[in-house]
Amino acid sequence: MPAKKAKKAIKPGVCFPWEEKVKEYPVILGDPKLVQKSWEELDSLAYLYLWFCIMQS
Amino acid sequence: MSEEMERLYQKRMSRYVAAMKKEKPDRVPIRPFAAEFAAKYAGYDNQEVTHDVDMAFDAILECARHFDWDATVGNMVYVWTGLTEAAGLNYYAIPGIDKPPSDAFQYVEPPDEESAFMKADEYDEFIADPTGFIANVWMPRANRYAVAPGEPNTAKNNLSWLKGGMAMLHYFNKFGAQIGRMRAETGTVHAIAGCLKAPFDILADKFRGFRQLCADIHRQPKKVLAACEALRPHMYFNAVAGADPTKTVPIAIWLHRGCTPFLSPKQFETFFWPTCKKIVEDLNAEGRQVLWYAEGDWNPNLKYIAELPAKSIVYHVDRADPFEVYEKVGHKFAISGGIPNDLLAYGTPDEVRARCKEVIDRVGKNGGYIMDAGAIMQDDSTIENVKAMTEFTVEYGVYR
Repeated sequence: MPAKKAKKAIKPGVCFPWEEKVKEYPVILGDPKLVQKSWEELDSLAYLYLWFCIMQS
Repeated sequence: MSEEMERLYQKRMSRYVAAMKKEKPDRVPIRPFAAEFAAKYAGYDNQEVTHDVDMAFDAILECARHFDWDATVGNMVYVWTGLTEAAGLNYYAIPGIDKPPSDAFQYVEPPDEESAFMKADEYDEFIADPTGFIANVWMPRANRYAVAPGEPNTAKNNLSWLKGGMAMLHYFNKFGAQIGRMRAETGTVHAIAGCLKAPFDILADKFRGFRQLCADIHRQPKKVLAACEALRPHMYFNAVAGADPTKTVPIAIWLHRGCTPFLSPKQFETFFWPTCKKIVEDLNAEGRQVLWYAEGDWNPNLKYIAELPAKSIVYHVDRADPFEVYEKVGHKFAISGGIPNDLLAYGTPDEVRARCKEVIDRVGKNGGYIMDAGAIMQDDSTIENVKAMTEFTVEYGVYR
């Protein structure tokens, strides 16, 4: 999760953008799209949890 | 699933969908949203159906087996307090914990600036990144275990995130199975899929509190508008995330405080309507219909709602005059509801039948009407009155 000080708008469905995550890898030896897909799928569940708390009355 | 049950399901689905499209089905469909009423009917108390989601699901199945309802919701006691306690959310009064087991759960809105989940000077931070704000600022205030970034971590903080997320998945998995059981065991359609709120309502309910937001619309109106605009794509995304992939049943928008006396029509036009309207228009452009669940009396705002594309919404009438709704927007939208909850609680079966007849005659005469109570049915609706509403509609609501 990006720290509180982060001000860049993050699009719906995302908590921790892949563009930030990928910077943590010195190199991806295999298929980066595979890594990205799993990252984004599970990141979107975290997003849905946060907003689920907001959306339910 | 038996073939007979599947045929019943398909017949009910056709009837429900035809009405939502303003067509004339074989008869008026019945689509009550049974909340604590289901508990009463099935023999549970409110603590049981609020805190144990399996009991809540059983209660709905019991209703679906015995009432000839075309569609309903798998659990209309919509906050599972087992989840909220696992996560540590601190804004619910829970039957059996904070209230007697016989009471319904209650959302406790922060009443003042000190307790608000978002402070008056935090608009810019919120607008820049609403999701980050929820995770890093809102959650530590709304969750008794969560700690803010930079504060010493705790085991309870770690567990609250883990348990909250696991509980959500657990609930959604169970909900999927419940929808399957409703279809296979009772032939009942799940009436809605996906949850939408108006940005202004979310800003009031979950961030500023309505009292504080009322001050903001005078003191910092541009910030309020920008916050609503920042929320808009997230409301849209969340609505679609839970929506019916076949686009058959509508997304429900639960409208809280855009109507009078909360907002004047002018305030509604300025702060509430622009972002709310855009979301509904965008969903309509994607072929998605919205159940416009107009809690309270929205008739002073009908001229705005009439701006929405034809059939983009099903207009649900709570406390308003359904005949005025029919006159003003009935040419564009199907209508549901209009049977007052106080009548279902305190009236007689004869009075319920008379009201149903009047609404069917005047609102449903040409199709495009769905029988329902004005609001979700809690445990003050009597069983005999709900039976009267159902049985009268099955008999009298046939289009010949």
